[in-house]
Amino acid sequence: MAKFFIRRLLLMLLTMVIVSVAVFLITEAAPGNVARNVLGIHITPEQEASFLNQQGLDEPMYERYFNWLFGSDWQASRKIGMPVRQITTEDGFKEWWAVNEDGSLIRWKMGGEDLLVQRRLADGGVEESLDNERWGVKDPVAEIERLEEYRAELLENEQLTEDDRQAILQELDRILEILRENSRDSDVLVAALAGPEGALEAMVDPEAMRSQGTFQEIAEDVARDDKLMQAILVSQSLSAPAADELEKSDLQTMARQLDKAADEIQGVNPTLEGRLRQAAESLKVEDIAAAREVMGDTVSALNEVIGSLGSFVEALQMGDYRQAVAVLQDLSDPAKTPLDSARLAVLPSSLEAIGEAVEDASPEIGEMLLPAVESLRAGNTEEARVAIGEAAQALDELGRTIARGDAAKGARVARIFWGVDTQNRAVRWEKGTGKVVWRLIMGSGWMAFSGGPAEYIPLQKGLLRGDPGLSLRTGRPVADLLFTRLRNSLVLAGIAFVIVMPVALILGLIAGLNEGKALDRILSVGGMMFSVTPEFATGIFLILIFAFWLDLVPGATVFGEKAPWERPEMLILPVLTLTLIELGYVLRITRASMADVMKAPYIRTAFLKGLPYWRVVFKHALRNALMAPITVIMLHVNWLLGGIVVVEVIFGYPGLGSYLLDSALFKDFNAIEAGAIVLVAVAVGTQLLADIIYTFLNPRIRYA
Amino acid sequence: MAVSEQAMQKAAQPSRLQRLWEGLSILFASKVAMVGLLIVLFWVFVAIFAPLLTPYTPTEQDYVAQNQGPSRAHPLGTDDLGRDIWSRLIYGARVVLVILPIGEDFWIPGGTAIWGVILGLLVGSTLGLMGGYLGGWVDEIVMRILDAMMAFPVILLYMIIIAAVGASATNVVLAIAIVGIPGIARLVRSLALDIRTRDYIRAAETRGESVWYIMFVEILPNARGPIIIDAMLRVGYAIFAMGTLGFLGLGLPPPSPDWGSMVAKGRQFILSGSPWAALWPSIAIASLVVGLNLFADGLREESLRYQ
Repeated sequence: MAKFFIRRLLLMLLTMVIVSVAVFLITEAAPGNVARNVLGIHITPEQEASFLNQQGLDEPMYERYFNWLFGSDWQASRKIGMPVRQITTEDGFKEWWAVNEDGSLIRWKMGGEDLLVQRRLADGGVEESLDNERWGVKDPVAEIERLEEYRAELLENEQLTEDDRQAILQELDRILEILRENSRDSDVLVAALAGPEGALEAMVDPEAMRSQGTFQEIAEDVARDDKLMQAILVSQSLSAPAADELEKSDLQTMARQLDKAADEIQGVNPTLEGRLRQAAESLKVEDIAAAREVMGDTVSALNEVIGSLGSFVEALQMGDYRQAVAVLQDLSDPAKTPLDSARLAVLPSSLEAIGEAVEDASPEIGEMLLPAVESLRAGNTEEARVAIGEAAQALDELGRTIARGDAAKGARVARIFWGVDTQNRAVRWEKGTGKVVWRLIMGSGWMAFSGGPAEYIPLQKGLLRGDPGLSLRTGRPVADLLFTRLRNSLVLAGIAFVIVMPVALILGLIAGLNEGKALDRILSVGGMMFSVTPEFATGIFLILIFAFWLDLVPGATVFGEKAPWERPEMLILPVLTLTLIELGYVLRITRASMADVMKAPYIRTAFLKGLPYWRVVFKHALRNALMAPITVIMLHVNWLLGGIVVVEVIFGYPGLGSYLLDSALFKDFNAIEAGAIVLVAVAVGTQLLADIIYTFLNPRIRYA
Repeated sequence: MAVSEQAMQKAAQPSRLQRLWEGLSILFASKVAMVGLLIVLFWVFVAIFAPLLTPYTPTEQDYVAQNQGPSRAHPLGTDDLGRDIWSRLIYGARVVLVILPIGEDFWIPGGTAIWGVILGLLVGSTLGLMGGYLGGWVDEIVMRILDAMMAFPVILLYMIIIAAVGASATNVVLAIAIVGIPGIARLVRSLALDIRTRDYIRAAETRGESVWYIMFVEILPNARGPIIIDAMLRVGYAIFAMGTLGFLGLGLPPPSPDWGSMVAKGRQFILSGSPWAALWPSIAIASLVVGLNLFADGLREESLRYQ
């Protein structure tokens, strides 16, 4: 007996191991992409890689399997050099912290380029402070190689002034020397590097670096006025050789576009506005030649100005300040930009747009440009030119400062640090590597950072320690939801089971006792029909009959935060659907078993002895007849689970099945794997139970 | 000699006809089987002649007639996109019973459900024969793998397979086959275990036939009876599974006419007052599956009685 159970238990364990590996392998092999499901289909490959990295999904499969099963905190604490521990906060959230030697809890985050440490206080509060001493030098050999390449780049950097270049090169050479001399000891290196790196730090103007960030965000099309662009396009198509063959409707469209452009500059420049309207009128009467003549040089001037402003913004974005300054200088130079009436019409509004954009990054320069706009509008071109010239000079200076800061930053030695971050991951932070990292920042979406986290190990305790990880779909621990959902499913299945078993067994017995008679035919054919009809079809019929036509019960389940048993009326149809499906199956098995037993010789003997009919049935036949159904029903749990999934989907019931389906469609790895393991455990467990019950029912096995 | 052979053939011929007649009379004797057969034949008929039975294509949309009840123009009504439900139903039957769409414009004859069962039979019988006839460690390995597969809840297996390989007709075939393999293999194994002890297998072994010859030419044909009955029930399961997969959004991708996904879509409009789009495909799949089971059950009962 005991040996039998142990063997069964071992087999069950073996099955669970095979199942966990299989589920893991199959979901791994899946071609779909969870990053796309979480972030949307338009993500770039870098964002996708960063997401997978953050979730630890880019690790080798065996490592992920190990982490998933046994937890990742061991690996993480080895890398960090401190134990890590999961705590439950007062609000019920699970958080991971590193443990200091004195038992206090700490974790880290980045603030700009600084490492900030968070210390958890006894009352649950958090104290934050700078903690830059923990940075270690990244592999010196690789750094020497990287910095030498960087040195070559510096020599070709056109944005730098010669003085700045020399100053940076001097410090860089000292750094390289230090790296070559002290190759191994990180602490010694850090101390030796303090001098030259401090000098480099002094070359960085934080204010200017902030401007740099804002410049990069200026939208490319800020200088382009849509409607004036349309006017330019119209002029281009008019001067094309095919213009004479344009359809009437095309001409009408073009006229409308010109009118809109005219509306745009209404009051700003009456001359240009008048010309545009004139051209539009000519087009309306299909006088192409006249329109072409009117548009002529007006528009070519328009084109030039808008084009040069476009290249200005582009240059700012790319960090090419020299080019941006050159554009402004051209505008301030009467020889290069003669301001005729056409140009005057466009320049103020475009310049204003630029001024506003630049103002975000550098209020000074922005304020210099705005008076220029005013002067242009007032017709005072000379004053405007002077203002633009001043702005150009200021921008030139800012550009140099930014370039110097940029170059100086890159010349430092890269640092790394392994720690626990505020989102329950072990993270390798890096700074000064020049590598761009995409990170999801709450509220502002995906942003690129140079420096920051480079490698992640999501911390989890592992399935065997009761922590299946975070759900990628909800961002919450899988375990929380899984158990609510499992409970809901068990409630549904339990109620159905309690109803089905007596009813089906009794009906099955009745059918079996009346084998071949009309009652038996009705019961068994009816039962068959219910049991082979797919659950969704049965569900639809029931909804139609009881919820739609008779309007007796709700046709869908909505529980909100409530437990299913608090809204019993919503359980009626789901339970009824499950009941009908199972009813037919159990009924047929019982009927066959009863019919078989009633034909057995010992029953005939009992009748021949003259025992009363009911006594024979209850005392002699029943026990043997029930043996088959009870075990078969247990083995049928696999099918029942399928029915539960479908029933949950039909009625929107928040159970484990619909949770699994959603997770599978979303490729939410942790949720599918945990859910599958739970389901298989239920299935294998009931099979084990079936064996045990069978053993107790059947004395031939019990006493064997 | 020649004369007596001819005579024997003559004697054999009526007996073959007789056997056919016996089979048919078994069929006709069971009213239940006849009803089942009629239902199945109805669906096979409309599936084969689907293009002739409706003026619409299954994806043709009528923007002014959405979610309508039965009318003269649309005998069963229209769905939420104004597509004719009758056309979608019979084209849906086509995918289940008559054609297996493989590519955009490429299909092969023999229904998605049918191919699922055939593929499952091929792999399942091979595994079963290997386990049953070869025995030893082969049997042990095959049985352990099958046990693990059986331990998987069927629905979970479907979900994971389709989530892994994506939703398409060929993948539905694959999923149905994989789910069917353990059952078929176990059945064939038990039959093979019995048959391998027969004298004609000994004879074949003594002749020095290869293992594969014995498995597929000697054992398999002699185990065909139970396998065929099992296969018929499995077609019912396969249609059931196709419907369930479609309903869960794991079946044929839209806009192909698929009974399960039609129900899933139509379900959303029941409580807003248009039950037709969900009702008809539910009736269709229920009637086809019930028909198949009535037929198989009736046949089995009558044949048992005649034995």
